[in-house]
Amino acid sequence: MQETQIKPAENLAQTAAPARSRKFLIKLLIDLALIGVGIAAYFIFPDNLGFITRILIMIILVLSLDLVLGYAGVATLGHAALFGAGAYGAGLFAVYFSADPLLGLLVGAIVGAIIAFISGLFLMRAHGLTLLMLTIAVAQILQEIINKERAITGGSDGLLGIDMDPIFGIYAFDFFGKTGYLYALTVLVIVFFALKILVASPFGAMAKGIHESAPRMRAIGTPVYWRLVGIYTISGFIAGIAGAVSAQVTELVSLEAFGFALSAEAMVMLILGGLGRLYGAIIGTVIFMVVHHTAASIDPFNWLFVIGTMVLIVVYFVPEGFMGLPVKLRRWLRWQK
Amino acid sequence: MKKTIKLMAGVGAISVMMASAAFADHTVKVGVIAPFSGPFAIWGKQFKEAVEVYVAQNGETAGGHTVEFIYKDSGGPNPSGTKSLAQELIIGEKVDYLGGLVFTPNALSVASLIDEAQIPTVIFNAATSSIVLQSEYFVRTSFSLWQVSVPMAEWAWEQGIKTVVISVTDYGPGNDAQVAFTTAFEALGGEVLDAIGMPLSTTDFAPFMQRIKDQSPDAVFAFLPAGPPTFAFVKSYNENGMKDAGITFLGTGETDETTLEALGDAAIGLTTAYHYSAAHVSDLNQAFTSKLDEMFPGSVANLASVGAYDGAHILYQMIAAVGSDRTKAVDVVRGYEWESPRGPVSLDPDTRHITQNVYIRRVAKDENGNLINEEFQTIEAVPDLGLL
Repeated sequence: MQETQIKPAENLAQTAAPARSRKFLIKLLIDLALIGVGIAAYFIFPDNLGFITRILIMIILVLSLDLVLGYAGVATLGHAALFGAGAYGAGLFAVYFSADPLLGLLVGAIVGAIIAFISGLFLMRAHGLTLLMLTIAVAQILQEIINKERAITGGSDGLLGIDMDPIFGIYAFDFFGKTGYLYALTVLVIVFFALKILVASPFGAMAKGIHESAPRMRAIGTPVYWRLVGIYTISGFIAGIAGAVSAQVTELVSLEAFGFALSAEAMVMLILGGLGRLYGAIIGTVIFMVVHHTAASIDPFNWLFVIGTMVLIVVYFVPEGFMGLPVKLRRWLRWQK
Repeated sequence: MKKTIKLMAGVGAISVMMASAAFADHTVKVGVIAPFSGPFAIWGKQFKEAVEVYVAQNGETAGGHTVEFIYKDSGGPNPSGTKSLAQELIIGEKVDYLGGLVFTPNALSVASLIDEAQIPTVIFNAATSSIVLQSEYFVRTSFSLWQVSVPMAEWAWEQGIKTVVISVTDYGPGNDAQVAFTTAFEALGGEVLDAIGMPLSTTDFAPFMQRIKDQSPDAVFAFLPAGPPTFAFVKSYNENGMKDAGITFLGTGETDETTLEALGDAAIGLTTAYHYSAAHVSDLNQAFTSKLDEMFPGSVANLASVGAYDGAHILYQMIAAVGSDRTKAVDVVRGYEWESPRGPVSLDPDTRHITQNVYIRRVAKDENGNLINEEFQTIEAVPDLGLL
């Protein structure tokens, strides 16, 4: 909307191609800078690698949620179902079959996708509150199954005995969390670029189209239901990756991987950052988790107030999330003049 | 001007470095990981208060080393968060010891870490038997469900109770309690008519009470997590006339001191088997509870307090003996015997789990009209029967 306003009319015909390539270059530079930040963090915060690794994993999960909620507009409060499926998929695979991390990662992703596909078959028929409740129910059912199958899954004690082999047989997981960090960072970078391509593709445009008006998409011949199941399955694949990395780095999975708190926190992070934007998922997660961590280490007893206040302020004043902040500021400055 | 500032900054930095270098010889850091926020914050509060009471009574030094406690909030059951907190404490804060740990998954998540980094870790609570087997650096000062459920079964048998219905919350510790009680009770010749697994989140127990009543057992053995579920279960037990139906209540930690008053007079007479009662009669316990009340008015001691108090004691013993040369610390306390507010205790040399008396108690009123867990029978020196 704003872009068409800003762009002068004469630019469109002749300079569209160079402008687009320049824009592409700038975006590429931003992405490279982000990767640079990720690598720099490795050297700047050697003491906090465990924590930053958790941020990276969470970003992957929030990205997968963004695909469903931000792009396709499917409201879900049960995304932990897919995360947990990936975590237990990778964890059980490591305990009973093979401790190879990359193989486990693939298994986690596939399990996440399968669960998303099966649950998506009936979830995507529902809308609104019914959908919200059903997504929560799926997560709880999975949690209860894992709890009941205590002999295999360890029940509420958690799945014990995950002892990962070195990556490629060379890089062992160390207690400083160095390998875990670089592993999670690599996975995140790959997931991020894959998603970038996906949302820029016709498939991504179709998702946005469904978000804006499902009846119109149906009218132009899009099988909306099956496309939504497809998007949900891809999202499950990515959430499964997040779960798998979490299981492998922590070397323990517990029932909380399916917890409502995880689904809700992922959603808060996404809303904080800005729905429907991949950078929003990154920024929201980083800000939420860093504030959470800092507040909790300064005052481990009352930090919840800080988080609550921050969420309240952002949602009230910048409903678009942190990604909407520049536009808000520009508008405010113009108004000041 | 600029130069002066730079110089001052430099001097400042050097003096800070010197100070920390001088400190390094004497200060030993202990990281305590526990829930300090959210629905389980009471655990962290009880831990911290008990540790502070111990420090107030015994000074801030152990064998010439100043002991510094650093608290970290784990929230609820959260293994990945707990592991990264432990990593930060070990790598960033350079702690030599860890303590705390309320939930089993959280305790399990640090096992490989403390093994690799050689950090002795005193578990103040997490009660699943098998945890201590996961690392030689674990020491536990709480209890296990086996430890208290088996004495309960034996006592019930002695009272002439022949049939029991077991009603536990369907999660790890509940399962432990059920298996322990069943094993002990059936070995004696008793009969377990039914074992009911109740959902973790329910607070409506009337249907379960009816199911128990229909089978008319001599007693019901219950295990529920402390807090609202326990409260609702006991209330439901009373409202459904179970006592009048001749069904005795047998429990473990259901009459926790922090929720006991809320149960009200209806709780009087409930029998439980447990390792600690705030009303335990001894000089040490008297000193502990009165100091706690003096420092934190309104606080009551419970299992979390005594776990942390004894945990601090064990940490002090290790630090006094070896300081920050922690690799031999666990060997120092293997088989160690001492007097705790809960009575005489020792650490099992092999399992590093606390061996302690288990008391059969009933809820009664003390002279001030407050509800207490009155101990009336003692089973001495019970090890973790789940590990035998």
